[in-house]
Amino acid sequence: MTNRLPWWMGGILLSGLLLLTFSIYGADRPIGASTYVPYFAGVIFDLDPDKYIYLKEVKNAGSWEGVMLFGSLVGGFVTSVFITKSFRISIMPTAWKKYKNKSVISRLIWSFIAGFIMIIGARLAGGCTSGHFMSGMSQLAISSMIFGTVVIISLLITGRYFYDTKKDK
Amino acid sequence: MDIVVVTEGKDLCSRVVQMMENVIHQGHGSLVLVFLIGIIFGGIIQYTRVDKFEKIAGFAMLKDTIVPKMLFLTVGLTSIGLYFMIEAGWAHYHIKPIIWQGLIIGGILFGISMAILGKCPGTGPVSIAEGRIDVLVGAIGGLFGGLVFTLYYDDFFKPLMGESLGKLTLLDFFKGHENLVVLIFGIVVTAVAILIPKVELFDEADLSKLPDEARPDKK
Repeated sequence: MTNRLPWWMGGILLSGLLLLTFSIYGADRPIGASTYVPYFAGVIFDLDPDKYIYLKEVKNAGSWEGVMLFGSLVGGFVTSVFITKSFRISIMPTAWKKYKNKSVISRLIWSFIAGFIMIIGARLAGGCTSGHFMSGMSQLAISSMIFGTVVIISLLITGRYFYDTKKDK
Repeated sequence: MDIVVVTEGKDLCSRVVQMMENVIHQGHGSLVLVFLIGIIFGGIIQYTRVDKFEKIAGFAMLKDTIVPKMLFLTVGLTSIGLYFMIEAGWAHYHIKPIIWQGLIIGGILFGISMAILGKCPGTGPVSIAEGRIDVLVGAIGGLFGGLVFTLYYDDFFKPLMGESLGKLTLLDFFKGHENLVVLIFGIVVTAVAILIPKVELFDEADLSKLPDEARPDKK
């Protein structure tokens, strides 16, 4: 048993899962993974759903993705313990240490900020890597192609200037 | 037959139960199926290791191309499969609207944060499940992002997103040639996935736990 699946196997499996989710015998909807965040914010901070229009808009999609998220936590945990053997508690990614800095505080502060603007960005665009890039482009949606192009450009520019990419050995 | 559970409470637990009830009643698959889709999704993400910081941040630095290769392959294969399923009446399109400002501002913010956090909202939870505390902090940041978005949606974010220009797909520009367009799109995107050169950035901390013959970097 290998501990890693190759990228092409991952692509085939994800495609199969996506088609199952789309089909009327499955869930008859795309896979998405960012609407659950404002939904959870509503649940955790006890916001009144009658008062905030946005909570009403995301009620169905948010709860669907919320249940899916619980599943992916379980799936990720079980796979990491029994198959990839990658489960361990850690704070600092190896590549951050190498290409950015060795400060834990810096990593945590940047993580918090990045998480914050990531959700704002995803909700402004109406989707994330799963909802727009994967599900949206599979439907040949123009909106998802615009989003995908902007994200890749922005990702590559940030990677180029945020990290010290020349620090190879 | 409707299943009715009493979920009138106001505490956190009953709000979570209400979430499950929403899923049961919205007709997008049973609760078990949705949960199962999540398990498989998390399993695939974990098994292919694309939840690692080195994969997305590595792509941002152009030191790893596994994520784009896998994503493009998924899109290429799904686009063709989905089109035939829709033609057969087994599925429907669920298109997101074109909202220029939202897509561009949102895309820029999303790209920046993906490069810094090294995760996206789908892979993040999977890496929390394998014990990454920094990503958990990122998720808490995300919750506050979701809170701020909800609180200021009407006054700030909705006007910022701009007007919707409708739900267009590539097919709308090529009326009458739908089959051909889908086929070409699917093949081109799949070819892109295969043609992107494969570079990988490995994490010694993970690989050191594997026996030598199982290490992908020593093959």
